[in-house]
Amino acid sequence: MVQDLLHSSPGLANFGIFFLLATVLLLVILGFVTYGILAERKVLGFMQGRYGPNHLGGRWGLLQTVSDVLKLLLKEDIIPKAADRPLFIIAPVIAFAPSFMVMATIPLTDNLQFADLGIGLLYYVAISGMSVVGFLLGGWASNNKFSLLGGMRAASQMISYEIPLVMSVLGIILLTGSLNLNEIVAAQEGVWFILLQPVAFVVFFIAAVAELNRVPFDLAEAENELVAGFHTEYSGFRWAMFMLAEYVYMFAMASLITVVFLGGWLPLPFLGFIPGAVWFALKFSLVVYILIWFRATFPRIRADKLIEFAWKVLLPVALANIFLTALIKELLELF
Amino acid sequence: MTLSGEFLAFMSLAIVAVVGGMLLLNLTKVVHMVLGLFFTFASIAGIFILLSAEFLGVVQILVYSGAITIIMLFGIMLTRHQDEEEQPTVGAWKRVLLLIGVLSFGALFYIGIYGLDFGTTPAALHVSNTEQIGMALYRDFVIPFELMSVLLLVALIGAIVLSRKDDGKEAEKQ
Repeated sequence: MVQDLLHSSPGLANFGIFFLLATVLLLVILGFVTYGILAERKVLGFMQGRYGPNHLGGRWGLLQTVSDVLKLLLKEDIIPKAADRPLFIIAPVIAFAPSFMVMATIPLTDNLQFADLGIGLLYYVAISGMSVVGFLLGGWASNNKFSLLGGMRAASQMISYEIPLVMSVLGIILLTGSLNLNEIVAAQEGVWFILLQPVAFVVFFIAAVAELNRVPFDLAEAENELVAGFHTEYSGFRWAMFMLAEYVYMFAMASLITVVFLGGWLPLPFLGFIPGAVWFALKFSLVVYILIWFRATFPRIRADKLIEFAWKVLLPVALANIFLTALIKELLELF
Repeated sequence: MTLSGEFLAFMSLAIVAVVGGMLLLNLTKVVHMVLGLFFTFASIAGIFILLSAEFLGVVQILVYSGAITIIMLFGIMLTRHQDEEEQPTVGAWKRVLLLIGVLSFGALFYIGIYGLDFGTTPAALHVSNTEQIGMALYRDFVIPFELMSVLLLVALIGAIVLSRKDDGKEAEKQ
């Protein structure tokens, strides 16, 4: 359906349809964020031997996040007097907009995708790098030492971890011969790339956790070191925008890992009767669960170790993986 | 020129790019200027995509969003938070010369762009754009490409050597 729309001639009607579809996608993502936060709190509670939210909305606390969001929206919007007003206002927007933009290219099933870009993978990495400008601006505009430190940490972390992130997927691009996410999924018809490229998967997953600013790489918002990091001075809806950006990135990154390494919507052998959307949701939920599991079990890494780890461990491993992949591919083609 | 979607997209991107550049020149705080630069680069990437050079557009964002972040870091580290630059006063003669300079620059570019001739052989540039760039860079022009990377490496090491030298002297003094 979407494929036909993408190839149709542009016009006002098509613009309206795309606008409507994008709104629906936004609502779906907001729904995910609502229950993603609840799931995170429930899983954390389960791992720490407590209940988690269990009062509002039945036994599982199903309405807890809804009421939290409502509280955030009703809060007073405070802008500190010494803050840089225009930048303080624009920073959450710059942080959030790219997080929704990256969702456009990710193929959720074989015919549910918004833009079939030839360079989908590169597009994701490039656009997601724009968010950090928003984080840094927010930290600077708050005119607060802790916020500025948080913003600086976010920037240095993004610059170091983006490189292993890109380098680790190069092996997969070599095997597929394309940057298009649909073709990457199609190339996994036989074997998923997690089995062909396990080293790339490990490097990518670590770098992805770092890009998401999640434990053990959550230095940019280390509560007990920096009060809260770049969003210390933010409250109410502006703070919600930063949090929303973070969880939308979690959605996008989990989808990307599913598409690139776990075969997207492709089923396991003999289980092809289950529709692709269900397979995608299952793999996606597994990745999100592992991300939450990390949060419950890992301590935070020290700042200098963090950067050292990216440059001295992840980058050489990723480069060796590219070299090895290229070598094996050429050898296989020779014989 | 008819009013089409492409025209609208181009105009809005071009306006953002030009306004970003103007803000870069006119604002007084360093971080504000860098934000102007950010908008300029992002909309130039949009213009690349309009010209169906999607690889170039995305690489533009990939490289420059990182670069902008680093410029911003330097801006934050090397200036004070409330630091404002004073506007230097410009004499009347200087203004006239400036105007002549800007006009001649505009005229030269106008003539240059209108006189440009790429030849009329049609090329399917938008079909598998990335692959074509890869073929050109790694098959037809490997040696110039490698030379460029060696040049960049030399510049990088040169920068390190130059900045290290001062440290050595200071260490000797102490």
